[in-house]
Amino acid sequence: MTSTRDAVRDRRDEFAFHDDLIYLHEVKRGLTRATVEEISALKNEPDWMLQFRLRAYEHFLKRPMPLWTDGLDKINFDKIVYYRKPSEREEKSWEDVPEQIKDTFERLGIPEAERKFLAGVGAQYDSEVVYHSVKEELTKLGVVFMGTDQALIEFPDIFRKYFGTVVPPEDNKFSALNSAVWSGGSFVYVPKGVEVPLPLQAYFRINGENTGQFERTLIVVEDGARVHYIEGCTAPIYATESLHVAVVEVVALARSKVRYTTIQNWSNDVYNLVTKRAHAYEDSTVEWIDANTGSRKTVKYPSIYLRGRGASADIISVAVAGKGQHQDTGAKAVHLAPDTKSRIVSKSVSKDGGRATYRGHVKVAPGATNVVASVRCDALMLDDESRSDTYPYIDIQEDDTSLSHEATVGKISQDQVFYLMSRGLTENEAQNLIVQGFLEVFTKELPMEYAIEFNRLVKLEMEGALG
Amino acid sequence: MSVAPLKLPFLTEEQVRVTSQSLGEPAWLLDERLDALGRVGRLPAESNQLFTPYLDLRQVRFADVDPYAPAARPRPQAATDLEGAAALLHVDEDGIVERVLGPEAAAAGLKIGTFGDVPSDSRQLLRTWIGDGSTLPSDDAFAQVARAAFTLGIVVHVPDGVRLERPIVLRSTLGAAGRGLIVRTLIVLGEGARASILEEQLPAADGTPHDPQAAQSLWWGTSEVRLGDGASLDVASIQDFGAGTVAIVNRDARLGRDAALRWSLASIGSLFHKSRIDNRLEGRGSSVHQVEIGFGSGAQIFDLTSYTRHIGEDTTGDLLSKGVFLDRSRGYIKGLIQINQTARGTDSFLGEFSMLLDRKARSVTIPSLEIDQPDVRRAAHSSSAGPIDESQVFYLMSRGIDRETARKQIVLGFLEPVVSRVPLARAQEHLRELLEQKWPATASAPTAETQTAA
Repeated sequence: MTSTRDAVRDRRDEFAFHDDLIYLHEVKRGLTRATVEEISALKNEPDWMLQFRLRAYEHFLKRPMPLWTDGLDKINFDKIVYYRKPSEREEKSWEDVPEQIKDTFERLGIPEAERKFLAGVGAQYDSEVVYHSVKEELTKLGVVFMGTDQALIEFPDIFRKYFGTVVPPEDNKFSALNSAVWSGGSFVYVPKGVEVPLPLQAYFRINGENTGQFERTLIVVEDGARVHYIEGCTAPIYATESLHVAVVEVVALARSKVRYTTIQNWSNDVYNLVTKRAHAYEDSTVEWIDANTGSRKTVKYPSIYLRGRGASADIISVAVAGKGQHQDTGAKAVHLAPDTKSRIVSKSVSKDGGRATYRGHVKVAPGATNVVASVRCDALMLDDESRSDTYPYIDIQEDDTSLSHEATVGKISQDQVFYLMSRGLTENEAQNLIVQGFLEVFTKELPMEYAIEFNRLVKLEMEGALG
Repeated sequence: MSVAPLKLPFLTEEQVRVTSQSLGEPAWLLDERLDALGRVGRLPAESNQLFTPYLDLRQVRFADVDPYAPAARPRPQAATDLEGAAALLHVDEDGIVERVLGPEAAAAGLKIGTFGDVPSDSRQLLRTWIGDGSTLPSDDAFAQVARAAFTLGIVVHVPDGVRLERPIVLRSTLGAAGRGLIVRTLIVLGEGARASILEEQLPAADGTPHDPQAAQSLWWGTSEVRLGDGASLDVASIQDFGAGTVAIVNRDARLGRDAALRWSLASIGSLFHKSRIDNRLEGRGSSVHQVEIGFGSGAQIFDLTSYTRHIGEDTTGDLLSKGVFLDRSRGYIKGLIQINQTARGTDSFLGEFSMLLDRKARSVTIPSLEIDQPDVRRAAHSSSAGPIDESQVFYLMSRGIDRETARKQIVLGFLEPVVSRVPLARAQEHLRELLEQKWPATASAPTAETQTAA
């Protein structure tokens, strides 16, 4: 299998670049109480937010490092810069964005994507949202799509009502860290009954060695409203570890529908530790469509708490783990109300010594009667250097629950490869096609441009892997 | 919550030394015990980070228990009817009360006795078998308690090439309030040997109803299984201790080339039952088939964990756990299959299924996989939880069976895979009776639900 591997170039470097730019504000490396106070002061925040940050900081110090996944002890929190602000204020017009930053976005292809059909762009360059444009019609509909920092000032009431209610700082060590030093991220508010006709997109990107990125996203969708939010990531490659610790909170009120799509492709030195959780109220639907191909280590289990009768949850989680990578991903569905439904589908590919872990939790709490839940996990291993783990937790406390769980692990079927080769494909093309087919459950949920991009990404990954 | 070490008032170094001395053990065996004692002090109660939140010892009162000291020499034996078995060993409370070898077993060279019975010139043999703690998981605190503090060591040895047609019965009866037995059982099958074992774990014979205020009793045991190349062993177990008994067992099996092991394990009794099985498929072509059922009621907890490690090539693991939970009973069914990089050609399946029959019952299933070798015939797991299938109930009712009987028959059918694998017609019948008795007596009276259905 390895004989022709070297013949195919790993082209990942082409997506890894960084610009040298002067940061206007940069706090000292390392995390102290003073760092937290300084970040809050730089942002001119209300006192309640400072208190929130400090409470989170205290909890972060107290909370032990989780032991159920390995490698997190390698993170050196003292080497991280917790806040950087590359430009003074938020830019509304593309022309006003500083040339250097614009250049980076050009190379990522954002303007093209926007010209095509983007409803709004919030591109995060390090720790602040520098560019935002929301189509006028959305503004007219009352849809808010802006940087989280800005929303704290412009929409203080709604912000305070929901912020930190889905993922409290005390949830885990990393939600505490994010809560202490958060900066940037998106705020989305969709008023009652409004259907956002096109996906809202944010392009996230880390630049700068050892920059921690601690974005915080809050999405509130009112009664009967609908929205699809998409985020994708790339980051430059550096020799030392970068840290990305995000918190995403989604509040899906009665009868609303929220879809949140992620394509995570951080460079292979990033620790990506993300807490994503949604509260789904009566008859609402929440969907996490989550793909992880990048990072050194990702720890992320998009979760849905089904709090209202008749709510439903759909989670598709896809992971590709290559050399030196550990994708510790999965999903959680917590049924707290009657007649709720959840479906989890997980697909992972591990290769070149990579490790893909599915960790999932389905819980049916007392009182949540007539629940239907299903979990499906499939893993593909492309060589025997790689590893695949499946850790599903199923905790049922109601007797009329109907739950099924299935998992399989295997390699690419030689019969399938042979068949495709007999139709004129090379072995590499055949294997590419099989892997793309394996991941199609995810790809088919993406808008077309993203699907093309994702397939290209998989192909690039595969070219480095197979021969 | 379960990362703290076990707190066992009865487990002290002095006690361990006294036990070893009164059994007249050689120095190496005392060293084994002291090594184990050290581990108990260092190990968390649950050393696997995957499972730490799911060890629930809240009902267990170890402080109640004063474990038995080693029993005096076996009491005189009455002539016992083997009832079709090849051999019988009966341990009542603290020690052996019956040991009978049938003519077939005696002629074949089957040996059943205590560690101390292994003839002194072959003491080294015992050491090769159990030395360096090799027959128990070194990271499991419960197994190490047995290794440190056992007062009775039983050896069943089936020599090379011996094939026993009839089963060996290992019977334990226990239940004295405030007392406990810590016992190791070593089962060694030589090359090409074949045997079946029926374990019967029963409440004390006095038949007094359980008083929840009374001190708990404790049975803490092991099955340490070594299968030589080509050996074949069936182990069936019926655990039906009384409602005041805490039952803890570690089963650890290592399999040689082409060896085959079949576990058929039924847990019905006890207040709290914790079982951990470790299957190590070392020899090429070895296989383990395991079916395990737990039928809980009242406040019973069944903690059923199994680890299966595929090491040799072309090994097979087929593992099925089923739980039925009534009232406030709870099941924690935890499994991990590991396929080592060396284990090409593995066929592995892990199924964990539970049926909840009351709103207060709870079931946790964790069927996990860790795979380092993709060249497998199969690596899969499956799990489900649900109530009794109403369409099955409807079908049976359409055949003229009343609702409650239909429900009961469906549950018994769900558990039948274990029942049908129990050797000895008498034992199979006994197990069926126990399962039927478990079905709530009140449920046979028509309830509001059955009345409307009728």
